[in-house]
Amino acid sequence: MSVTLTVNGSLLTLEAPPASRLLDVLRERLGLTGTKEGCGEGECGACTILLDGVPVNSCLVALGQCAGREVTTVEGLGDAQHLTPLQEAMVTEGGAQCGICTPGMLLSAEALLREKPAPTDGEIREAIAGNVCRCTGYQRIVNAITEGARRREVRP
Amino acid sequence: MSVAGLPLHPFFTPRDLPETLDLLAGRAARGEKTVLLAGGTDWFVERHVAPPETAGTLPLVVDVSRLDGLGGISLDGHTLDGDEPGGDTLHADTLRIGGAVTYLELRRDARVAARCPLLAAMARDVGALQIQARGTLAGNLASGSPAADGVSALAALDATLLLRSVRGARRVPLAGFYTGYRKSVLAPDELIEAVEIALPPAGAPYVWRKVGTRQAQAISKVALAGVAVVEDGRCTRLGLGMASVAPTVAFLPATRALGLSRPLAGIAPGEIEATVLADVSPIDDIRSTAAYRRHVAVALVTGFCEELKRR
Ligand SMILES: Cc1cc2nc3c(=O)[nH]c(=O)nc-3n(C[C@H](O)[C@H](O)[C@H](O)COP(=O)(O)OP(=O)(O)OC[C@H]3O[C@@H](n4cnc5c(N)ncnc54)[C@H](O)[C@@H]3O)c2cc1C
Ligand code: FES
Ligand code: FES
Repeated sequence: MSVTLTVNGSLLTLEAPPASRLLDVLRERLGLTGTKEGCGEGECGACTILLDGVPVNSCLVALGQCAGREVTTVEGLGDAQHLTPLQEAMVTEGGAQCGICTPGMLLSAEALLREKPAPTDGEIREAIAGNVCRCTGYQRIVNAITEGARRREVRP
Repeated sequence: MSVAGLPLHPFFTPRDLPETLDLLAGRAARGEKTVLLAGGTDWFVERHVAPPETAGTLPLVVDVSRLDGLGGISLDGHTLDGDEPGGDTLHADTLRIGGAVTYLELRRDARVAARCPLLAAMARDVGALQIQARGTLAGNLASGSPAADGVSALAALDATLLLRSVRGARRVPLAGFYTGYRKSVLAPDELIEAVEIALPPAGAPYVWRKVGTRQAQAISKVALAGVAVVEDGRCTRLGLGMASVAPTVAFLPATRALGLSRPLAGIAPGEIEATVLADVSPIDDIRSTAAYRRHVAVALVTGFCEELKRR
């Protein structure tokens, strides 16, 4: 069975079982390993992607449910040579340590900033409440998102 | 792929509600199992905890997450779109929410915020944003967990479920839906099409309190949903729903009866405590103890009654 969807701007038709988890298809079929698996149960947010612009856990979505929809993974933000202002701020503000939570954090933050270009600390904390980080203690991530929002105003 | 067997599930996306109902009816008649997949936030977790072993007996997964007939929020049969002027000043007092409506849609709907703030508050407290974006009321109802937040709020609102099959539609009051722990009257060929709520007047007092270990992602140790209409110091409507204190979400019938029996000023805290304790039957589990749950149940209901007295 084939499923047609858009991933990071490219329209793709995939021959894959539609009951597969989107997470497995991204990582194993498309090689988009920026999306991580932590818990596989919706708790940790490491697998967060944007589905039509909204953050969801790709471990809880079936490929078949994405037909005709738009998926954005961390690879769809910037690449190593062209980081987005938000990604850049994550680096300079020390928002990433081991990095496992970072792709998911970036997508939750990206969705927030698209909706609220200048979020409060409380709004940031709510937006990343579904993304667990074992390293940073969160404050540096909140700082990074605040800084990312500021830099986006200058260079969207 | 890391979840053994998952991709083996046959998967189908129906065109519309009639096709879904025909499919369900045919499969139910042949004794074949079907999973209606909405947000997947319960189903995928179950699969992860207990992966299927053989392909032979796997149920058909039917995607209902975008099924037209299960979407939409409307007030008194009058469909509301975002910024329709005066939408909430109409004599519209039945709120209808499609089964596949997500928590995120609930918390973003201006009419839900204005006319049913209890539901909006509940939706804001479910899981985290990623769960709210996918999870649905029908999924919450069908899973039937005693800890279900959506079910607790709907219990306080005395919601009615609209169930549909090829045999037709029927309305079941939520109080008559569950028959035991994760058991309900939903037939194998039926689905939950929508929930209907006879709204209290705008501004009616309500409570939503979820007691857990942290705000996001935590399943409640106890949660209380309540809504009331108070006239001259007396409740003329009182709805209560409590999570995690019984095998199903609790309606607290004795406590409701007490609250409606006479003016609030004449109801002593000791009476409230006694009826709440009669209404709940909590257990010890990994999240909390029966004793703590009894204590919190009494405290939450007493707090709400105190607030109502000040009205
Ligand atoms: C990390 C995490 C946090 C969570 N936090 C909370 C929380 O705070 N509070 C809470 O209450 N729950 C919580 N949940 C549980 C879950 O998100 C909810 O129960 C949600 O409402 C389930 O809806 P769904 O659409 O995702 O269901 P699905 O997983 O798609 O389906 C669940 C069941 O419902 C059936 N079903 C779906 N739609 C219909 C229909 N229209 N008619 C008949 N049957 C149907 C399915 O066949 C399946 O058996 C959490 C889950 C996770 C993973
Ligand atoms: S892997 Fe999906 S939420 Fe943890
Ligand atoms: S940086 Fe290691 S988990 Fe967040």
